[in-house]
Amino acid sequence: MLHSSLMPQDRAEMPDEPPPFLGTWPRVYTAVLVYLAALIVLFYAFTRFFS
Amino acid sequence: MRPLDWLVLCSTLTFIVLYGLYKGRGSDTVNKYLLAGKTMPWYAMALSIMATQASAITFISTTGQAYVDGMRFVQFYFGMPIAMVIVSATAVPLFHRANVYTAYEYLEKRFDSKTRALASAVFLIQRGLSVGLSLYAPAIVLSVIFGWPDRLTTLGMGALITIYTVTGGIKAVTWTDVQQMIIILVGLLVAFVLIIRMLPPALSFVDAVYLAGAVGKLNAVDLKFDLANRYNVWSGLIGGAFLALSYFGCDQSQVQRYLTGKSIAQSKLSLMFTAMAKIPMQFFILFVGAMVFVFFLFERPPLLFQNLAMKELQAPQVSAQYAPIETRFQQAFEHRKEAAIGLAEARRKGDGAKRAESLEQFRQAQSEINGARTEGATLYVRTHEEKGFNDTNYIFLSFVTRYLPAGVVGLLIAVIFAAAMSSSSGEVNSLATVTVIDVYKRHVRPNASDHHYLWASRLATAFWASYAVFFAQYAKKLGSLIEAVNMVGSLFYGSLLGVFVLAFWFRRVNGTGAFAGMLAGEAAIFWAFWFTGISFLWYNVIGCVVVVVTGVLVSYVRPTPGTGSTVPGLNSRT
Repeated sequence: MLHSSLMPQDRAEMPDEPPPFLGTWPRVYTAVLVYLAALIVLFYAFTRFFS
Repeated sequence: MRPLDWLVLCSTLTFIVLYGLYKGRGSDTVNKYLLAGKTMPWYAMALSIMATQASAITFISTTGQAYVDGMRFVQFYFGMPIAMVIVSATAVPLFHRANVYTAYEYLEKRFDSKTRALASAVFLIQRGLSVGLSLYAPAIVLSVIFGWPDRLTTLGMGALITIYTVTGGIKAVTWTDVQQMIIILVGLLVAFVLIIRMLPPALSFVDAVYLAGAVGKLNAVDLKFDLANRYNVWSGLIGGAFLALSYFGCDQSQVQRYLTGKSIAQSKLSLMFTAMAKIPMQFFILFVGAMVFVFFLFERPPLLFQNLAMKELQAPQVSAQYAPIETRFQQAFEHRKEAAIGLAEARRKGDGAKRAESLEQFRQAQSEINGARTEGATLYVRTHEEKGFNDTNYIFLSFVTRYLPAGVVGLLIAVIFAAAMSSSSGEVNSLATVTVIDVYKRHVRPNASDHHYLWASRLATAFWASYAVFFAQYAKKLGSLIEAVNMVGSLFYGSLLGVFVLAFWFRRVNGTGAFAGMLAGEAAIFWAFWFTGISFLWYNVIGCVVVVVTGVLVSYVRPTPGTGSTVPGLNSRT
């Protein structure tokens, strides 16, 4: 049972705005995952170089 | 602590708290107190999320972990960006559109009241334990500086946090976090620069990095798959992703942060920023710890970094047993220093034979030092009837208080205090939210006024702060704090994640299936914890999979007519 009196304003139709860069959210997500892969490669090279 | 340190410490803390209270003024309704009236911009949420995670525990313990165990802990965070992307694409729009205060409120809309009640209970237990650990971290600071017992300092910090949290509300907590995150980064940079400057003049930065790597302190990535190995790239990517999914998708202390966003896009941006900033920040903190190790190659460290333990070992009744250990430690330190100088010189000259010889001596001396430290810890445990001893959390603080200049010590102590207070207050705030919204308002007093629930929230806050203080009394038995926090979380997060996976992606699963799945998932996790040697990072994977499989099977055997949701946005892909 839910009580609407304390619920935040109804946002059921709340739009999902595009990101301020790269145009769409899937592109942003892809960029983040590519960035992660680059970090891992960089850290692996760091580990190998100094071990 | 010198007068300038006290001045910096007191003024920094005062500024942070007053700033938070100033920004949090007007939190006079439940919606404003618990969700900041949904007015927060992305950068405030992002820094708040990071500050909550990068609490005093991160600052104190991670640097110590790098000193003892190297930088492999950074792999723990590799799964986080993956989790952030999934949470951003699924949970954020769903929670926003479902108009909820808590993630568990959503579960009642999707499943039924018993599933919501069970998920709320799991969160309350898990987060209640973690907030106790978060409180213990700053108590270590006072123990090191003043020699006060941890129990007393924990009680004192708990009292401060209670006042701050009850009066502030989430808006105050969030804005305070923003200040703290900036101060944490500044403090870390200052500490790093000073460490490098304090190394011997003949030693270049590359030499320092080379010496740390020579004894395995820069082991950032391990590609070998091993279920029993706590940190490797696979446990980080898979186990870490599941843990981060649970944390950011199902843990109210984080969900509540991005529910305060002005819009779905603002909440998503806050998560994407965190996803990109967190790993480099953790890498840097660990690197600072590795450089502290290099510093102590040339400056003799104490046998044990906990002052109180050292005093106990030097006491007359134990000193006869302690003296030979101390002598071996001193000799090993001299050998290691000599070998380190030789190794750095050989590297610069490109002398392969000399480098191999020095490297062998360096590693041998490091092994002797580790052996002496183990002997010292064993003696302390044996003579004081302790169950265990771990001084990882004292290493960085010991360095700060002994070697950094006046003012900087105060700044770093203020950072540790402020981060711990804010992190704990945020957790207490989320515990109070679940207690009031999912328990009190749902089951005890459903139709009271907004004013009544506001005061109920404040009382619940005070209760959870007291509970955290009680649990914190036992924190020092749990070893490295940051691991302890994550381990406690992993005992509960897997089943929470599983039920949200069912809610988001398995349309035909009903409330009975989800409830049975959670119980089975929790049983599987505790079985893995007690009866197997599987690393804790995998508990989330095990729990989640068992919840999903059980939920699907039970729902198939006992289908509910009309299963499916009318929750706005459910099953949509964003």
